[in-house]
Amino acid sequence: MLIDIDKWEADRIAAIDSDGTQLTYGQIRALAELIEHSMPAHSLLFLLTENNVGGIAWVMASILAGQVPLILNAHTEPALLGTLTNTYLPEYIVAPAAMAEVQTEPIVADEFGYRLRATGAPHAKLNNELSHLLPTSGSTGSPKLVRHKYDNIEAAALNISTFFGLTEADRPLMVLPLHYTMGLSMVFSHLKVGATLLITDRKMTDTEFWALLKQATSFTGVPFSFELLDKMRFMRMKLPNLKLLTQGGGKMPADLNLKYAEYCRDNGKDWIATYGQSEGSARMAWLPPEYAISKMGSIGIAVPNGRLSIRDLDGNEIPESPAEGEMCYEGRNVTMGYARCREDLALGDERHGFLPTGDIAYRDADGFYFIKGRMGRFLKLYGNRVGLDECENILKAHITCECACSGDDTKLLIYLSDAAQADVAKERLMEAIKVPATAIEVRVIDSLPRNEAGKILYSKLN
Amino acid sequence: MDNLEKYNSIFTEVFGVKPEVLDASFSKDNVELWDSVHQLNLVTLAEESFDVMFDPEDIMAFISYEAGKEILRRQDVEI
Repeated sequence: MLIDIDKWEADRIAAIDSDGTQLTYGQIRALAELIEHSMPAHSLLFLLTENNVGGIAWVMASILAGQVPLILNAHTEPALLGTLTNTYLPEYIVAPAAMAEVQTEPIVADEFGYRLRATGAPHAKLNNELSHLLPTSGSTGSPKLVRHKYDNIEAAALNISTFFGLTEADRPLMVLPLHYTMGLSMVFSHLKVGATLLITDRKMTDTEFWALLKQATSFTGVPFSFELLDKMRFMRMKLPNLKLLTQGGGKMPADLNLKYAEYCRDNGKDWIATYGQSEGSARMAWLPPEYAISKMGSIGIAVPNGRLSIRDLDGNEIPESPAEGEMCYEGRNVTMGYARCREDLALGDERHGFLPTGDIAYRDADGFYFIKGRMGRFLKLYGNRVGLDECENILKAHITCECACSGDDTKLLIYLSDAAQADVAKERLMEAIKVPATAIEVRVIDSLPRNEAGKILYSKLN
Repeated sequence: MDNLEKYNSIFTEVFGVKPEVLDASFSKDNVELWDSVHQLNLVTLAEESFDVMFDPEDIMAFISYEAGKEILRRQDVEI
C-alpha cells in the first residue's frame, strides 16, 4: 500500500486534533475502502478541508482509494471555488458537514464530520499516474493546479522522514493547512513511519494551540509562524517534549533566524531550515542542524535522493563552486506539471523529474545553497504567496487609473496615478488578499515608468 | 497626543478604520478582519506605544477594544 500505511496495527493513533478527536490507522484504511466502493475508480473530487482529523482522514483515504482529490481550504473564497468548479467540473465534493447544508446534491457518505456528495458531472479523463492536485495560489484567485503522482508521495514521504530522522514516537504539531504542500508532506512523511500527528486550526492567540504544543515533539512553520511564536514569547515557555523546529516556505529574517538557532542550540533542540515548492512536493533542500548557525541564511543541501544544481541563463549547469544562477532540482518528488483546464488532467509527466525552481541561488565553496531572489514576480506576505500580476488584475477591476504592484516580503506597494482612488485600491486589495492595512502601502505617482513596448519597468518604480 | 488618542491610533492603523467606529462592540467576534495576525499587530503596537511588555495570557486576552484597555490598566496605563 502507498507509504506502507497497511504496516501499522489498526488501533494505532494516526492523528489527534484540537477537539481531542482521535483517528487510527485502521480508520484511515476503512474509510479508503468505503470511498473506493462509493464511486467509479479514479474519479475527480474536490476536498474542502479544515485542519482536523477528518481532513487528514479524507485526504489520505481518497488517495489510498485511488480517487483523485483537489485539496482545498474549506474556507476558499466563494468566487475562487466557483471558478475552480466551473473549470474542472468535479464529480464529487467533500466538505465539512457544518458547511454542507447549502448543498442539495445527494449525500453519498458522511464520515468524520465531512459529507461526500455526487455532483452528477461526467466522468473525468484522468492520467493513470495522477494522485492528487493542489492549488498554486491560496488567495489571489488563479485556477492553476499542480499535478502530483503517486510516486511523488512515496518520494516525499521517504526523503523527508529520512532527513528529519522521523520515528513512530514522533508527535509533530501541524498548523500548516492540508492544501498547502508543506502541510501535506508532513502527513505523508509521518504516517509513513507510524507517528501521531497533532493537527490544529487554532491560532497562536488561542489557549488550545499551546495545550497541543506542550505535547508535541516537533513544530513546523513558515517564517511568519515563527514570528508569531516569538511575539507570543515562545522562548520563555517550558516545552521539554519539543525536540525539533523546522522552517520552510520562504526566507526567515536574519535576526529571527539567529534567535531561533541560538535558542535551539542552548535548549537541546534542533533547528532545521528547509526549502521547497509545491512543484517539488514540498521539501527539496534542508540545512542540517549542526550548520544552523555557521551557515545561517542558507537553505542547505539537496534532500536525500535529490540533486540540486545551478544553471546559467542558457540552461547549462555550472559544476564548479562558488556559483550563481537559477537553481534546479532533480528527484522523484518533482511533480508532473500544471493543469489549467479539465483536459489537462489527462496529461502525463511533463517534467520527468527535473524542475527549474525559478529562484536565483548562490552556491558557496562548501556546496551550500543560498536563495538570492525570485525570477518571477511573487511576494511572501504573512506567509501567503501573493502574485503581483494577479494583484494588479484585482485592482484593475475596481479602479480606473493605471496601477502597478511591487514590494518585498514585508510590504506590498501599490503605485497609481490618481490620489482620489488610493483608498479604494487599498481596501479592495486588503479584502482580496486578507492582510493587515499596515502591509499595504499606496504611492501616488504621475505616471508609471514604461519601456518602448509599453511594459511597466518595475525596477524604476522604487 | 493623550493616551486615548494613542490607543485609538493603534486600532485605526491596524484595521484601517476611522476612530468613530471604536466602541465597546469593537471586538474579535464583531469585526470580521480581527484574526490572530491583527491581534498580534495590535499587541506589538500597544507595547511600543506605551512602553510595556505583555505576558502570553495578556496577548490571548486582547480580544476587544475594551479588553485591551483593561490589560493596559493592569500595566498602570490609564486610558
